[in-house]
Amino acid sequence: MITLKTEFQKIKRRKIGLTIFALLGMQFAWILWTAKSANEKDPTQGWLNLLHTLPLLNVIMMPTIMAVLASRLSDLEHKGNTYKLLRTLRRPGILFNAKVLCGLLYTGIISVIQVSFLLALGYSQHYAGAPDMYYYMLTFILEFACCFSLYLLQLNLSLLFFNQMIPLVVGLCGSLLGLVLMYIKMYSFLPWGGFLSCALVGMDWNVETRVVTYFYREHSTVELCAVGMVFIWIVIFYVTGRIAFTRKEV
Amino acid sequence: MNTSYQKALKAERLKLKRSPVWLAFFALPVISAFFGTMNYRMNLAVLQSEWYSLWSQHSLFLCYFFMPALLGTYCSYLWRLEHTHHNWNSFLTAPIPLLSLYLGKLTQAIWMAVLGNLWIFLLFYVCGKFVDIQSPFPSAAAEWFLCGVIGAVVICSVQLLLSLIIRSFAVPIGIALLGGILGLMITNKDHGLDYPYSIYCLGMRANNPDMTVDVLTLVINSLGYIIIFAALSVLYLHRKEISAG
Repeated sequence: MITLKTEFQKIKRRKIGLTIFALLGMQFAWILWTAKSANEKDPTQGWLNLLHTLPLLNVIMMPTIMAVLASRLSDLEHKGNTYKLLRTLRRPGILFNAKVLCGLLYTGIISVIQVSFLLALGYSQHYAGAPDMYYYMLTFILEFACCFSLYLLQLNLSLLFFNQMIPLVVGLCGSLLGLVLMYIKMYSFLPWGGFLSCALVGMDWNVETRVVTYFYREHSTVELCAVGMVFIWIVIFYVTGRIAFTRKEV
Repeated sequence: MNTSYQKALKAERLKLKRSPVWLAFFALPVISAFFGTMNYRMNLAVLQSEWYSLWSQHSLFLCYFFMPALLGTYCSYLWRLEHTHHNWNSFLTAPIPLLSLYLGKLTQAIWMAVLGNLWIFLLFYVCGKFVDIQSPFPSAAAEWFLCGVIGAVVICSVQLLLSLIIRSFAVPIGIALLGGILGLMITNKDHGLDYPYSIYCLGMRANNPDMTVDVLTLVINSLGYIIIFAALSVLYLHRKEISAG
């Protein structure tokens, strides 16, 4: 608990939240842009459209946002060369856990804000009907899990490399890869494609009538395995990251 | 001036020696080219403009979302060396004019932008041959390349200023990503040439190789932005007292 408190003291006035929310603000502007056009076409599809849009935007933006977040939380240790000092005060495993918990809190807040924004947007746009809260809650849990798995991956890289360019480039490559995966299949076993597997709403585009219809996806066994893979990635990244951090030569 | 600039440039090269920064500029276009070519092959029935269609697949996402962020990463790296340890003291007390020191960094960024763009076009040519496009390589590609490089230099000048002011490595990269996405929206409103992050995409004719771009406006706007942001950076270096650490 003390280590976690210290973690927050270290990032005080570093405006990490501001950076993340600026990026989320851009995402919301994008959703607002697409939501308006969707509502004009068919307001009954609005709630579904929002659930469809969020994972697609997350797959593009979240790898980079998580890379920025993890780098901000780790870079201060590299710059201050604080590892030697910290290790004389706390066991490395506890230090790693504090960083993980700090990120967990941030990713949790990000997911809460995202889903709250979708609901607020839907009501303000007067979408027909009410949102299916079961699917919105499930979206929150799954998006949160995907964000957290990417955060853990990026945290490991940011702690491992002094040169923060490497984790940031991995984040950018992840964004590009996620974008590309989106065009191949709506599921993926890769960490960057988790958002696609976890998307609860699918889209059917009729080429002749040019009408888009959204529907709740029925995940096949392979797709369910891909969803499960997100949670496996969390375990893998946590365990490997903790081992690597504990054994790291300072 | 010339000698001090050369010294600054040499120092910058030394700082970047054996640094794996080029890897990013190598990897990202490869991913984009690979999947762009795959998408082209799978949609040959729709994409019938050969080189032009292939270019749209190669450049769309890379130019809008990822090149601004990639150039931002490189610029952040150039200033990170000064932001760490006590390097600001050495940097600001070097017997070289601050303008030369800044130009040394800008030249490195320009050099990487040129190499990055060359790599993108080389991949485009190789992939075109690989998918057996029969028509000759479009001569307009030379113009796309040059306009793209000018646009990339604009992004570099903006990002160098941001990375100079913001001590964090990651934040300017986040801003670059944000700028690229905002650029997509601004370009859709037909104001792309007025926005620094959109000039690159318009110059490269990303997604629309048939698009006519007012090259003169593009060059004038780009030069204007480059001069403004370079001047702001040098002014910042002159006026701002930078604490080391």
